[in-house]
Amino acid sequence: MILSDRVKKLRDQSLNAAETLSPERALLITQFYKSDESRGLSAPVMRAKAFEYLLRNKKLYVGEGELIVGERGPAPKETPTYPEISLHSMQDLEILNSREKVSFTVDDDVKSIYEKEIIPFWKGKSNRDRFMDLMTTEWHNAYNAGVFTEFQEQRAPGHTVLGYKMFSSGFLKLKEEISKAVSELDYFTDPQAYDKNEELKAMDIACDAIIMYANRYASELEMLAATEKDTERRGELLKMSAICHKVPANAPESVHEMLQHYWFIHLGVITELNPWDSFNPGRLDQHLYRVYRKQKEEGSLNEKELFDLLGCFWVKFNNHPSPPKMGVTASESSTYTDFCLINLGGVKADGRDGVNEMTYILLDVIREMRLLQPSSMIQISRKNPDRFIHKALDIIRTGFGQPSCFNTEAIVQELLSQGKNIVDARNGGASGCVETGAFGTEAYWLTGYFNLIKALELALNNGFDKRTNTRVGLETGYAHDYKTFEDLLEAFKMQINYLIDIKIRGNNVIMKTFAEWLPVPFLSLLVEDCISSGKDYNSGGARYNTSYIQGVGLGSLTDILTSIRYNIYDNKNFTWDELIKATDIDFKGFEQMQHDLIYDTPKYGNDDDYADQHAVAIFEIYYDAVNGRPDSRGGIHRINMLPTTSHVYFGSVIGATPDGRKAFKPLSEGISPSQGVDKQGPTSVIKSASKIDHLRTGGTLLNQKFAPQFFEDEDSYNCLTALIRSYFALDGHHIQFNVVNADTLRDAQKHPELYRDLIVRVAGYSDYFNDLGEDLQNEIIMRTEHEGA
Amino acid sequence: MKGLIFSVKRYSIHDGPGIRVTFFMKGCPLSCWWCHNPEGISQQPEQVKVAEKVGDEEFIKFRQAGEYYSVDDVLEILEKERPFMAESGGGVTFSGGEPMLQSEFLLEALKACKETGYHTAVDTSGYSLPTNYSAIIPYTDLFLFDIKHLDDDKHEKFTSVSNTLIINNFKMILDSGRDVMVRIPVIPGFNDDDHHLEKIKSFISENRADNLRKICLLPYHRIGSSKYKRMNIPDRMEGVEPPSAERMEELKVFFAGTGIKVKIGG
Repeated sequence: MILSDRVKKLRDQSLNAAETLSPERALLITQFYKSDESRGLSAPVMRAKAFEYLLRNKKLYVGEGELIVGERGPAPKETPTYPEISLHSMQDLEILNSREKVSFTVDDDVKSIYEKEIIPFWKGKSNRDRFMDLMTTEWHNAYNAGVFTEFQEQRAPGHTVLGYKMFSSGFLKLKEEISKAVSELDYFTDPQAYDKNEELKAMDIACDAIIMYANRYASELEMLAATEKDTERRGELLKMSAICHKVPANAPESVHEMLQHYWFIHLGVITELNPWDSFNPGRLDQHLYRVYRKQKEEGSLNEKELFDLLGCFWVKFNNHPSPPKMGVTASESSTYTDFCLINLGGVKADGRDGVNEMTYILLDVIREMRLLQPSSMIQISRKNPDRFIHKALDIIRTGFGQPSCFNTEAIVQELLSQGKNIVDARNGGASGCVETGAFGTEAYWLTGYFNLIKALELALNNGFDKRTNTRVGLETGYAHDYKTFEDLLEAFKMQINYLIDIKIRGNNVIMKTFAEWLPVPFLSLLVEDCISSGKDYNSGGARYNTSYIQGVGLGSLTDILTSIRYNIYDNKNFTWDELIKATDIDFKGFEQMQHDLIYDTPKYGNDDDYADQHAVAIFEIYYDAVNGRPDSRGGIHRINMLPTTSHVYFGSVIGATPDGRKAFKPLSEGISPSQGVDKQGPTSVIKSASKIDHLRTGGTLLNQKFAPQFFEDEDSYNCLTALIRSYFALDGHHIQFNVVNADTLRDAQKHPELYRDLIVRVAGYSDYFNDLGEDLQNEIIMRTEHEGA
Repeated sequence: MKGLIFSVKRYSIHDGPGIRVTFFMKGCPLSCWWCHNPEGISQQPEQVKVAEKVGDEEFIKFRQAGEYYSVDDVLEILEKERPFMAESGGGVTFSGGEPMLQSEFLLEALKACKETGYHTAVDTSGYSLPTNYSAIIPYTDLFLFDIKHLDDDKHEKFTSVSNTLIINNFKMILDSGRDVMVRIPVIPGFNDDDHHLEKIKSFISENRADNLRKICLLPYHRIGSSKYKRMNIPDRMEGVEPPSAERMEELKVFFAGTGIKVKIGG
């Protein structure tokens, strides 16, 4: 596949467009909330009308040469805000405009609009303001100490992926389903009949709204065609206009229609609110295959047209940076990526090999487009051919960080163990970074990262947090009170249970605020069984509802506990007093001790049971604290182990640690070993990482950095394939490769201007190296580089 | 019985097929100028100076090279790697140093590995008594066999031993029917002149057999030089540059003329 001039041009435009803050949505939503139209309505109907208002009044955009139309903002990378979720202050706008990383241009007009229109109306009324007032003192203390983050602070609940149903039916059909559900409401025995009717009414309005939006584009395209001088382009515009008349009202019947259909849905979701992980077409090779085959047999789609369409579609994702984040939210997710993760491969609904011709076509698109967004992954089943993995390795070896590798059999078992039926499980996959979900049927929300190391720090300090000077944990005692290692582990467990209680109590209140005030009737249309149950996505309307709390720092905490056991209890190399004194002053004057902690103490990641047993112990304590706890929308709390960039944030609130780590340095990410401590090569890392029970999680993240020599010939491809398959035979959930050498990265730090296209794998996603903070850049450089020679 | 081993490498992918574990056995009767494992030469454990960094500070430590392993220790390590070997068709490789210098231990280890079902390989200089090779042949699936130089004087000058025994052993092992991969270190100024390369090529062609599976060309590299400094050993290769990638490609084409598969690297 070679990129056409059209796609090259659109791709360049997307890469060169500056991220700017657009006031359009904030203004429209404010106008609507101020208007009479918004009053006296139930929450779902009000939100549906707000959605309709946005789609009726937002600016249309048709780029030169585009084949797929629609932008969230007035133009590519012009990014809206969501004041009903979280309001940016004037100071926030200054920071966004001037910060070094992940910045957004905010011009004076926008600032003035914010000052005069947006802030006066929303101050104290955003959902963030509302629920922060509802949180307890304990919650605030823990949050401020960096025990956990709150995912719904600046973004709406998301983490949902489209299933096949929405690729095979249009919104007119959904309207019929809604009407049927309304007619079946039972006002005699169902006390919620009225609420359901309001929700269904709202969904119906949302159907009309998205169809209206597509028709606006159809008319616009027709108008453009009328004045277009180029005959070929005029033909394209008319064809696109006809497509926008047809979808998403009706089911799409060609690849072009499917991509435009999906894109309208995507825009609907990210215009309604700003859910985490934007939105996601999921198993794209599966979805497109049937229609592609049909068109190929008819001869109605040639290869050039196909790649042009897919190229245009890819650019659309890249045009949409994640909405501007501030404070802790910006620290935990410091990236423009909005985590749309295309799934390829895996198995079909009937359990058979899911790799098809479209899988290979999409891998070509990923390789040639080489864009930050959308992100991509391959689901690897035992049933998939090696050729599929090799083709993915061809892309991974270029150091692009995509696609990442997932274990289909693990995903299916994880979903089954959570109670999903086998078909829903096979239709599932991973989204965001590594999160397992049943596509089209599940609302699996991430609720925040949890700092495992902070819980231990509190256990060593009688519950007191030195940095914020507050009591945050339980008074379980001080380090030297613990006569045995088991005593310490018990205190750690008590802290975890106590802090998780605080987090879950908060979650259950915050979820309610979304259910009560911010229902999402449009998103609800897309996830089964919201229509048939008459319940909103934000109120537990989906077939499956899961709330995750993401554990962070497993590798670091394993090394810390291992060091304590090894050096204090088992070998008595140091006393508690010595160790605490050294860590309190960040090892200044204790470099010899620090050396011994780093070089002469067992570490996680080396297939050494002495160290790895602590990973298992931490995992079980954390799992027991969270798993199975009910949430307030009828779902269940579960764990997964991923960090995005929160391991840097969490590290910044933790002093020096007994594994020899200096104060405020990043923690380990995902379930990967601490940076640079894995000395036995990738098989040992894999062995260590597979000692925890992945199948009881909703995803784990293992990052391995490889030098390019590991990819030099067919033999090394076969070995890498075997390495991945072995990890998956051991029930590993996910592994990703960072292929790059440290010298290149150091040079990139010195001369960022020469490396604008350098993409690295961070932790569950890829990012431009230049956009990473210096600490994260250093961490990636430090991560063990395994020599191929 | 125990064997002296100075390094164990997991995810070893250049010492035979698949993902392997390579045991580097300590002690070598040769003394090659370009040796990149000088810590593998002595038959005794020794202390090797290493610099370990903590922030900007450097700690000079002496770390022991060489630990004694029982056959059970070897099996225990292999058991850890079983999933990878099974998936990749890998196994175990005994390298060195010269593993044949500890032939009794090697024989026991190979027997035990075969019994457990692992694919076995021995990476050897060929410099050992023929009876030692006959003893291990039944338990060795693959020999990685070094051919360094065919001119005896030169061989003796740069490795300190004659090549007569080596060449005889090579033929004997080939005759046994076991798989063999020939490894030729490409050392600029020692064995890479046209005349000698022709000689090796015809030697291999003469000995061509179905079980002669591959020719591996190992380009000289400078990894050893930092070790020489650390170990206070004079570096006899100072100033010698590794062969270029283009040169290696040329040689690959050249040796492909034997009709045997050629690979750059292990």
